[in-house]
Amino acid sequence: MPEHKTATLEEFEAAREELLAEEKEHTRRTDELAEKRRALPWVPLEKQYELETVDGTRSLADLFDVRSQLLVYHFMFGPSYEAGCPTCSSMADGMNGVLPHLHARDLTLLLVSRAPIEKLQAFKERMGWSIPWASSADSDFNFDFGASFEVEQTREQMPPEDQLPPIAAHNAKATGTDLPEYISEMFGATTFALQDGTVYRTYTTTGRGVEFLMPYYPILDRAPKGRDEGDAFQTWIRRHDDYA
Amino acid sequence: MPEHRVGTQEEWLADRRELLTAEKEHFRRGDELARRRQQLPWVPVEKEYVFDTDGGRKTLADLFDGRPQLLVYHFMFGFGYNVDEQNPGCTGCSFVADHFDAAIPHLNGHDVTLVAESLAPLEELRPYKRRMGWRFPWISSGGGDFKFDFGAAFTEEQRREGADYNFKHLDEVPWPQREGMSAFALEDGTVFHTYSTYDRGVEQFMGTFGFFDVAPFGRNEESPSDWWQRHDEYETRQEEAR
Repeated sequence: MPEHKTATLEEFEAAREELLAEEKEHTRRTDELAEKRRALPWVPLEKQYELETVDGTRSLADLFDVRSQLLVYHFMFGPSYEAGCPTCSSMADGMNGVLPHLHARDLTLLLVSRAPIEKLQAFKERMGWSIPWASSADSDFNFDFGASFEVEQTREQMPPEDQLPPIAAHNAKATGTDLPEYISEMFGATTFALQDGTVYRTYTTTGRGVEFLMPYYPILDRAPKGRDEGDAFQTWIRRHDDYA
Repeated sequence: MPEHRVGTQEEWLADRRELLTAEKEHFRRGDELARRRQQLPWVPVEKEYVFDTDGGRKTLADLFDGRPQLLVYHFMFGFGYNVDEQNPGCTGCSFVADHFDAAIPHLNGHDVTLVAESLAPLEELRPYKRRMGWRFPWISSGGGDFKFDFGAAFTEEQRREGADYNFKHLDEVPWPQREGMSAFALEDGTVFHTYSTYDRGVEQFMGTFGFFDVAPFGRNEESPSDWWQRHDEYETRQEEAR
């Protein structure tokens, strides 16, 4: 017999029904929070941002690509990285499959990183993604939206390595850079609206706020062992072509 | 000016911080529910189920494919939203399935196997899978009771006389099939049923809604069927509408 508690079908169903009521409440709360996000004030951008793409320099407004909403994912790929962050890569896997559905609802998705566009393009080809990716190498964009920090400042201010979660050193190694360079980039999502030629920032999230981009978590949350991560939080995540 | 309320950076930040507190609480609640799911008792699966797969006839235990956990998506085929002879896969299930291929390398790397099952024979599933460009394992449960026993299909008699759906009894069942996901564990050769979810529970696997839930205009729908298409249909159907 397994160590886990076993039961008859009737016992399972009774426990499941009780849990279902709480799951429904949680789903309704998800809807409520989405409504609160939409109620946030829109902030007009004062700066004009220009980003590098494979098709040349584009303004942020151009990058909406004729749609009225833009979601920028700040993908951790700093100038000194040799490859993209594995966790960010696992999120891009998920985005890539659902682009037609996002576009159908007037939402454009864009990855932005500080590495030069040639490096981003080569990695994108390796991973087989079709998501547009822009470089903010020559722009304040990443700094202004809290997705990049000056490396010198990070070196001076970062806590000792053993006070950082293991994922930081793990991913620094996986991206072929050192720890300060790795954590000078930050992951996050920022959404924008375009109306009458003006770009507005509507929402920004980071930390666990980006879990909506990780398609494996809701599935693991319903698997027998759950996320099964413990202190090794996310260190099991590889680029999709790096799993043995 | 847009119709939407416009604010300064400081106003936005104040509101955003307040919302963040609520979001964090929601995450913690989500973790708690995940723990509760793991505490559900496991029910040993007594019946022998056999499926048709690309690798031949397989039992439920075989489907684990060397991993200790299995999730089975109950995919509606030949019935569902916007289904006809040319388009036999349910549009909603197809939307759910568009999320699978990206997750599978990561799930497999973390001890979880994910497959989809439908009642239709493999010869019918294969051309649709090719058209959609999917790679996830898709098996036929048509030869047995699996889909019925796990609450995602209903016999004529059940539909007339009533049956349980989504952990509630219905006096009459309006549909022959519903979407859903069931989870199983394999230990010492025994398969245990650990969890099933249906209806909006399945929405949790549709990450696309998460994008809309942070986008300026939200889901922007009365009902998903206002806009849902298969991923290769959006342009052609827009053209037709013109």
